[in-house]
Amino acid sequence: MLERRLYFHIDWLLLGAIVILGAIGIAMVNSATYMTTPAGGHTSGMVWTQLYAFGIGLVALLVFLVIDYRVFAEHSLLIYGALIVLLVFVLVKGQTQMGAQRWIPIGPFHLQPSEFGRISVALMLAMFFGENRRGAKNTSDLLMGGVLMLIPLLLIAKQPDLGTAVTLLPVFVGIAFLAGLRMRLLGIIAIACLPLGLFGYKFALKDYQKQRIQTFLNPEQDPRGAGYQTIQARITVGSGGLTGLGYLKGTQAQYKFLPVAQNDFVFSVLAEEQGFIGVLTALGLYLFVILRSFEAARLAKDRLGAYLVGGIISGFAFQVIYNVTMSAGLAPVKGITLPLMSYGGSSLIASLASFGLVLNVRMRRFTN
Amino acid sequence: MSTNLMPDDRRSLTARLSALQYLVAAVFALLAVGFWIFQIAQHDKFREMAENNRTRKLPLPAPRGVLLDRNGKVLVANQSTTNIALVREQTKNIPEVLHLLAEATGADEQELNEIVNRRRREPSFRPIVLIENASDAQYAAFMARRLELTGIIAQTVPARHYPENASAAHLFGYVGEITDAQLQRDDYQGAEAGSIVGQAGVELAYNKKLMGVDGAKTVVVNSVGREIRPLEEMPPTIGRPMQLTIDSDIQKAVEDGFTASGFNGAAIVLDPRDGGVLGFTSRPAYDPNAFAAGIDRTTWAALNSDPLKPLQNRALQGRYSPGSTFKPAVGLAGLEEGIITPSFTVHCAGGATFYGRRFACWKKGGHGAVDLRKAIEQSCDVYFYTVGNMLGVDRINKWATLFGLGVKSNIELPNELVGLVPSTEWKREKMHEKWYAGETISVAIGQGQVSVTPVSMAVYVATLANGGTRVTPHLVMAEDDGAGLKPVPPPPPQSKVDVTPEKLQAIRDGMWGVVNGGGTGGRARVEGHDVCGKTGTAQVISNAARLIAQAKNKNVDYRDHGWFIFFAPRDNPTIAGVVFLEHGIHGPNAASVAHHILATYFAKQDGKPLPPPPTHEDLRLDYKDPYARGGAPTGGGH
Repeated sequence: MLERRLYFHIDWLLLGAIVILGAIGIAMVNSATYMTTPAGGHTSGMVWTQLYAFGIGLVALLVFLVIDYRVFAEHSLLIYGALIVLLVFVLVKGQTQMGAQRWIPIGPFHLQPSEFGRISVALMLAMFFGENRRGAKNTSDLLMGGVLMLIPLLLIAKQPDLGTAVTLLPVFVGIAFLAGLRMRLLGIIAIACLPLGLFGYKFALKDYQKQRIQTFLNPEQDPRGAGYQTIQARITVGSGGLTGLGYLKGTQAQYKFLPVAQNDFVFSVLAEEQGFIGVLTALGLYLFVILRSFEAARLAKDRLGAYLVGGIISGFAFQVIYNVTMSAGLAPVKGITLPLMSYGGSSLIASLASFGLVLNVRMRRFTN
Repeated sequence: MSTNLMPDDRRSLTARLSALQYLVAAVFALLAVGFWIFQIAQHDKFREMAENNRTRKLPLPAPRGVLLDRNGKVLVANQSTTNIALVREQTKNIPEVLHLLAEATGADEQELNEIVNRRRREPSFRPIVLIENASDAQYAAFMARRLELTGIIAQTVPARHYPENASAAHLFGYVGEITDAQLQRDDYQGAEAGSIVGQAGVELAYNKKLMGVDGAKTVVVNSVGREIRPLEEMPPTIGRPMQLTIDSDIQKAVEDGFTASGFNGAAIVLDPRDGGVLGFTSRPAYDPNAFAAGIDRTTWAALNSDPLKPLQNRALQGRYSPGSTFKPAVGLAGLEEGIITPSFTVHCAGGATFYGRRFACWKKGGHGAVDLRKAIEQSCDVYFYTVGNMLGVDRINKWATLFGLGVKSNIELPNELVGLVPSTEWKREKMHEKWYAGETISVAIGQGQVSVTPVSMAVYVATLANGGTRVTPHLVMAEDDGAGLKPVPPPPPQSKVDVTPEKLQAIRDGMWGVVNGGGTGGRARVEGHDVCGKTGTAQVISNAARLIAQAKNKNVDYRDHGWFIFFAPRDNPTIAGVVFLEHGIHGPNAASVAHHILATYFAKQDGKPLPPPPTHEDLRLDYKDPYARGGAPTGGGH
C-alpha cells in the first residue's frame, strides 16, 4: 500500500519529535508513580502500561499513516457513528472509576472512547467543510458543524469528563476558522457564549466543578483542601529552579505532594526534576510539533487534508497549552491531560494515531 | 471528487494557518515567561515551601537538671515515661481515632477531644500528648490496636522524678506544660507550646538554669505525614545540675516529725550563720510526681478544692499570730532601748490591769516575781505586758523588723507573702486611726494584729542565734556552669544590727532555760547539747468568740496554733529553725517535733546512728484543749 515514493515524504523530523516527547512522557510517568518507601524505592506497574500503550500507539500511527487519509474521511460518518455508539454504551454500561463512567473493559485493557473523539470529530468536520462545494462559509453550515461537535461533547461531559469534552471545541473552532469562517461570526458566538457560560456555571456545573474554579481564583483560602493542588503545583514547579532537582529526586513528586501527578501534573514533575531547562526543551519540542504540523496543513493538497490537520492540531495545541498552564498552577484544575506525556493508554494511542493522520496528509501532498 | 485547493483558497488558508502559528508561538512564549518567573525569579521561595512540605522538625525534650542535697545525694532526678500522642496530619478522622483510643485505653473521650481542641492552632505535624505517663496496660492496648489508630504514636520522654514523693514538695515545686502567659514572656525564650517548665518552688525559681536545651529531630515525611527517613538529629542538652543547701537527713527528720505528729503546718530549718536552708516542709503536701508527666483533671481539681489547701506553701504564704515566740523580740527591744535590764523584775499575780482593762497570764496562779530570764523560760505574760507597755508599739516594731518579722525574708522561692508587726504609722495609713496604747499589750505577747510567716520566724530565730545578722534564707549551695559544681556564695544579709552581747546573752539564757531549765520547751532537750528555744501557743480567735463560733460550726478548726523556735548550740549556734503546727493546740507539741530534728542533727554531727522516725506515742503530744481557759481577752500561753 505504501509506495516507495511516499516513504521519502514522511516527515521524519516531526515523527522524531513525537517519539522523543512520548519517551520523555514514559520517563516522567515512571518518576511520578515511583514508589518511595523508607527502604528505598521501586518502579510501579503503571510505567509498563504506558510503555505497552506507546507500542500500540506506534502501530496505530502506522495504520493511520499507511491508509490514505481520504479513505478515513470517506468513512468518517461510519467512524463518527461508531464513536457515538461507544459513548452511549459507556454511559449505559461503562466502568466507573473515581466517580466517572469513562471506560469500557476489553480484556486486560480499559478503552476510553472519549479519547478518540478528537480524531473522529476532526475527520467528520474536515469532510463536512472540506468536501462542501460551496466552501462552507455560511451560517447554517457553521451551525451544522457545531451540532456535529456538540453531540459527542455533551455525551462525554455527561460521564462526567468535562476536561476531555472541552477539547472538542478547539477542533471545531480550528477547522471553522481555516474554512474561512468570518471572524465577526466567531466573535458573536464568543459573546453569545458568555451569558451561556454564566448560566451554565450557575445551573449546569456540579459543585465540585464550581469549587475548582473558585479555588483557582483564591487557592490560599483552603490550602489543605481544594486549593491544595494549585498551591502544590506552584511549589513543585518553582522548586525546580534552573536545572531541576534531578530524575527521581523531586521532593514534591517523590513524596506525593501532588496527588496522581502522572495524569494531570506530569509536566509539573518534569519542571521540578528537570528544571527550567527541561521545561524549555519540552515546550520547544511541543512548539516544534505544533508549528510543523501546521506546515503540513499548509502543504496539504486539498482542503480536506488541511482542515483535518488543522482540527487535530488545534485540539492538540489547546490541550498542551491548557495542561502546561495548569501544571504551573496558573489555570483551574481540569481533567485535561498533556498529550503524548500524561499517563493513560487510550490518550497516548489516540494522540499517536492522530499524528499518523498529520504525517499522512503531508506525505500524500503530491499524490492524486 | 477531489477538491484540490484553488489559488485564492490557498492564499486565505495560508494566511489563517500563519495566524494560528503566530498565536501558538506567542502563547508558548508567555508560558516560558511564566515558568521563568516561578522557577528562576521565585525559586528560593518555592524551594523553601517544598522543604517545609517534606521535612518535619520534632522536638526532643531535654531532661531537666538534677537537684542534689548538700552532701551530693539526689533529691530530684528524671525518668523516662511513655506518652501517647496524636499527630493530626497523619489522620483524617480525628474524632473517630480519639473514640477508638478512649475505648482501648479507658481514657475520657471528652477530655481527649478537649486537649486536641485546645491545641488546634499548632502545626498539624506536632504531636499532641493525649495520655501522659501511660500505664503499661494503656501502652499495650495502644500497641494492639495501632493499625486502627492512625496518627496515634507513643513517645518516650524524660519526666521529672521526685524519689521522696511529697517530701519538701513546696520547696521543689512541680513542673508542667508552659502556660500561654509564660510563652509570651522573654525569660521563656526558646520554649515552645507543650514545653515542660517549672511551675512552682525551686523548679520555677531556677527554671532557666534547670531547663536545658531541647534538641530536635528533622525527618523527611511524605504527603500524609508518614516518616520516610531521618534527616538530622540534634540531641537535647540536659539541664545543669544544682546542689541545694538541703540536708536530706534533716529533711527526712522534718517530714518524719510532722508525720508522727499528725498535724499540718510548716517547718524551716537553716544554718544561722549564712541562711542556708537545711530542711523545709509545708503540710499538707502534694506529690509533685503527679505533675511530672502532666496532672490529670481530677487530681488537679481535688488539690484545688481541698479546704486544707495542699497547694499553699504555708512556710511562705501562711500568716499566723506568733504568740509567745514573739516575747524574746520584745525582751531584746526593752534591753536595747534601755527600758529594762536583765534583772528587771515584775511580780506576776496571774494577771494585770492596763488602761482599765484586765489582761490575764496563761498561768492562773501567777509566776510571782520574775526577771527577764525567768519570764522567757516560763513565758510569763504579765512580764511582757509590762515591758511592752513601757516600750510602746513603735519600738517593738523597730526591733521585730530588724529581726526579720513583718518583712519579707527574700528567700528565692516565688510568691512569698509578708506578715505584719503593727506600728502607729501603719495604723494611721491603713486604718486611718490613732494607735491606742492598750493595743500594745496584746502585741507584746505576739497576739492582736501581729502576724508572721513561718519563714520570717526562721529568719528571726537565726538572727537571735547569730547575734543580729538578718540572713537571707537560700537554697542553692553550688551550681554547674559547665565545668562541674561550683559553690555559690550565700546572698548578702538583709540587714545587720549590733546587738550588745551581754544583752543578747540574757535572751539566749532565757531560751536555754525554756528547754533545759524546766521551762515550756523541755521536750526539745537533747542530752549533751545546749538547745535554746521558745514555745508559742497562738490563739486563732479570742476565747469568747471561739466559744460562739464553735457552737455554730463544728467543722471549722479553732484550736490554737503551736509554735516552737529553736537554735543550738547556745554558743556559736549552727542550726536554727521553726516548727509551726497548725491547730497544734500547744507550743510544747511543736517542741516535740523539733526534738526529732535536733536529735537527728546532733546524731549526725557526732557521727552516731541517726534516731529512727518517731512514733506518734514517742511525741507525747498534749491534746488537752484549753479553750475553757478563763474569759480573759488575751492570754497567749507558754
